Amino acid sequence: MTPGPEANQKSLLSTYLQVTPLTLVMLLFFVVPVALVVLVSFFRYQMLVGIVPQFTLKNYIDLITNPTTWSLYLSTVKFTLIVLAITFVLGFWVAYFLVFHVRNLLTAIGLFLVCTVPFWTSNIIRMISWRPVLGKEGLINTALLQSGIIAEPLDWLLYSDFSVVVAYVHLFTLFMIVPIFNSMARIDKSLLEAAVDAGATRWGVIWNVVLPLSKTGIALGALFVVTLVMGDFFVVSVMSGGLSGSATTGIFNDLQFLNYPRAAASAVILLIIVLLIAASIFRLVDVRKELVK
Amino acid sequence: MSSAQANTATPAGQQKTGEIRLVDITKKFGHSYAVQNINLTIPHRSYCCLLGPSGCGKTTILRMIAGHEPPTSGQIYIGDKIVAGKSPVERGTAMMFQSYALFPHLSIADNVGFYLKMRGVGKAERRDRVEEMLKRVQLDQFRNRMPSQLSGGQQQRVALARSLITNPEVLLLDEPLSALDEFLRLRMRGELRSLQTELGITFVHVTHTQPEAIALADMVVVMDTGRIDQADTAEMIFNRPKTPYVARFMGGQNVLTGLVEGHAGGLVRLRASGGSIFEFPLDGPPPANGQPISIAVRRDHVRLARQASDLAGKGINEIAGAVTATEYQGSYVKVTLDIGNGLFVANVTDRDYSAEPVVHGDRAVASWKAADVHTLAEIDTGAAADFDFDASN
Amino acid sequence: MSALPSYGSRPWTFYVLAALFTLFVIFLYGPMIAILILSFQGPSAALVFPLRDPSLMWFDELFNPRRVGDVMGAFSRSLPLALMVMVLTVLISVTAGFGFRRRFAGSGVIFYTAIASLIVPGLVLSIGILVTFRFLGLSAAWYSSALGAHLTWALPFGLLIMFAILGRLDPSYEEAAYDLGASKWQTVKAVVIPIVFPGMIAVALFGFTLSYDEFPRSWLTVGTKNTLPLEIWTMTTNVTSPALYALGTVTTVVSFIVIALALSSIIIIQRRRSR
Repeated sequence: MTPGPEANQKSLLSTYLQVTPLTLVMLLFFVVPVALVVLVSFFRYQMLVGIVPQFTLKNYIDLITNPTTWSLYLSTVKFTLIVLAITFVLGFWVAYFLVFHVRNLLTAIGLFLVCTVPFWTSNIIRMISWRPVLGKEGLINTALLQSGIIAEPLDWLLYSDFSVVVAYVHLFTLFMIVPIFNSMARIDKSLLEAAVDAGATRWGVIWNVVLPLSKTGIALGALFVVTLVMGDFFVVSVMSGGLSGSATTGIFNDLQFLNYPRAAASAVILLIIVLLIAASIFRLVDVRKELVK
Repeated sequence: MSSAQANTATPAGQQKTGEIRLVDITKKFGHSYAVQNINLTIPHRSYCCLLGPSGCGKTTILRMIAGHEPPTSGQIYIGDKIVAGKSPVERGTAMMFQSYALFPHLSIADNVGFYLKMRGVGKAERRDRVEEMLKRVQLDQFRNRMPSQLSGGQQQRVALARSLITNPEVLLLDEPLSALDEFLRLRMRGELRSLQTELGITFVHVTHTQPEAIALADMVVVMDTGRIDQADTAEMIFNRPKTPYVARFMGGQNVLTGLVEGHAGGLVRLRASGGSIFEFPLDGPPPANGQPISIAVRRDHVRLARQASDLAGKGINEIAGAVTATEYQGSYVKVTLDIGNGLFVANVTDRDYSAEPVVHGDRAVASWKAADVHTLAEIDTGAAADFDFDASN
Repeated sequence: MSALPSYGSRPWTFYVLAALFTLFVIFLYGPMIAILILSFQGPSAALVFPLRDPSLMWFDELFNPRRVGDVMGAFSRSLPLALMVMVLTVLISVTAGFGFRRRFAGSGVIFYTAIASLIVPGLVLSIGILVTFRFLGLSAAWYSSALGAHLTWALPFGLLIMFAILGRLDPSYEEAAYDLGASKWQTVKAVVIPIVFPGMIAVALFGFTLSYDEFPRSWLTVGTKNTLPLEIWTMTTNVTSPALYALGTVTTVVSFIVIALALSSIIIIQRRRSR
């Protein structure tokens, strides 16, 4: 738009200035910290002394050879997969309903906002608000008892794997809905009509047209859900009443004892796994093209 | 159809401030040329149309004149001054965008007054000048509305008002009528022409619609893939096309090629590869024998008759073929013949057609007068032989 | 056909999905409504339905730090922190968003770093920032290290929103402004920013709420004094009284007010432009 090569150089300089604040913040509060975590994970920890800057692989060896680490990761992966499946099904159908069944665009946006509003409130509050609902004297049990469906209150509703999954789904389904909604809304409606013209059934249209075209949204949603569940430590500890652990439990414990090097090593292992999952999802989807549309 | 010459006469002593000169203009995007070695002079106070299909470079030239795109090489002069590096306002140009680009967050009055506000003109004076301009385009009662509340035609008038308030010497219009429906388009055509006459400034109007160009313009610039094929008055372009491309694109004329056999009695004789013989009046030094020449014949100068026998159609300025299509167009019927090495089209008047109707499959003979033959400056290579450019489009 | 704009009676799939949607909304809002009601629970302090002698006593308790925890103190840190994050997120994301409108060397690196910041678990980041600050000899505090930690979460969101908004911005508006004599800066001020202003409100909303509710990235980085989510966390392990629910209600109401302000201003602006 601005002509002349000299103006081009000027605008290049201003471009770099414009992205400088972002870059600085990212450097100082993200790149450097992560780098330091990796660094510290190779240091030694001495009781009562603290971090000793001596290169060692002991932390990693300890963690990898410790069966607890594996069982914790297994538990986390189990939760992740279950939550992923449920949030995907829920997220897909809610998005599908909003995009294809709601006729008025304004209504669709309104309903979409209704789903997102809880996201803007405190996660912790939303989590603990399940306690009076799922508890032994809580809403569900009271209703079931009073209507005579059960004789004794169900104790597996709260402080169990069930409540952990419920909380995860409650908190993170939105992260599935938004990208899938976004992808679906971009689908040209005439493609669906063309499919019907060609003889596709209701389900056929979904399987052959809607699903493939929402792939990007699904991938992004999956990415978010996986990283959020794997990196979580407070939902699982509160909702399981301390009975279940996750990959982050180990980090938590080490930090309590100020064993930063081993906590860092745990963190690095977690990070690598999450990044591997992210990378494989990025393979399926050109993220930059999608997000910078 | 305007056959008026461009009114470029200026009172003695006055500067030709609206004259645009492009000297050796080239624009490259990456490795491909949008336009190459363009030389063009648009006279002061003329209505100039840049005409051509998409991708021919006409919009690029418009944007370079405007100052929105710098040329890769060459110079542009407006009013005899070099404009390189100058902003549109400094050049004295104003552009009307294809999408109008009315600021959605500003009212009509604020849109029109934008230029004044950027220059720091006071509120009171701004209000008055905006009001005056809005009255001129008959939109004063909409002054407080928002752009999205106006119809397409109204939005265009706002865009016009917004540009004209800058008092430009040159108004640049990027396909201004493309977004309008048929009726509005024809009406706005007349309004644009009278506006230009009234304002007395240079208009440069980009379009891909040939009838629009020849209806409006004093000067038509026909472009094809980055070059100017012909820049002339509408009448010259239509009746004396220089190249096969212009002949076909502008008038949907038939282009035929033959080798010179000789000349006699003031007529040059050509023999085509199919054996047909064409003759046209000699004008200037006679061409050498054996030299190839391409000629153009207007579709409406062709007479059509059913082929009586196999021997018919071998005469001078005659060609025989099988009818492949007939298209009713009201006052005439467009008949397409397959002449073996291409297509030949005749626009037969409805009276002549009803006298001797031909249908798909019939063999017919097309004939024309030598005086109606026009020689082209280039030999037809057969490229871009697109017979879809019909004058009725 | 369920996927088609059928203008007539609705297929059975509509009702099934509508029911699913309704259940989902109840699922989302149910617990919040439950604690809203429970926060009015009377002195019996029973975490049970139905309510017995409803009262406002638990709200009163919130202002009493001895029994319940330093709620007011935590709030006095959470709110300014969220406001600072909001302002910084808008300033930094918007300018960076403008910078990204053209290709430049290194744009890919910065972009992927921002995305990576979203993917890295908050806990890992907290540790990292704490270690960084220790390394620099600084102590963690809510207005420094926590601020930075919150920014690493809010800025990428803000950036993505700006991408979406600026990507849809028709470049001919800026060209028209240039054509009418506006300088680059005038164009930004008079044309671009007003047009993208609703998007900027969305960025501000993200910045505020992401910080106000943030937990993992606050955990180690706040230093000695807690922000509100951290305070609630400690309370969940100690406190079992409905004061917790009263707190939940109050903080949710604050969130709702912020959301309402943001959304209504966006709606008002859009309305005014299309009337």
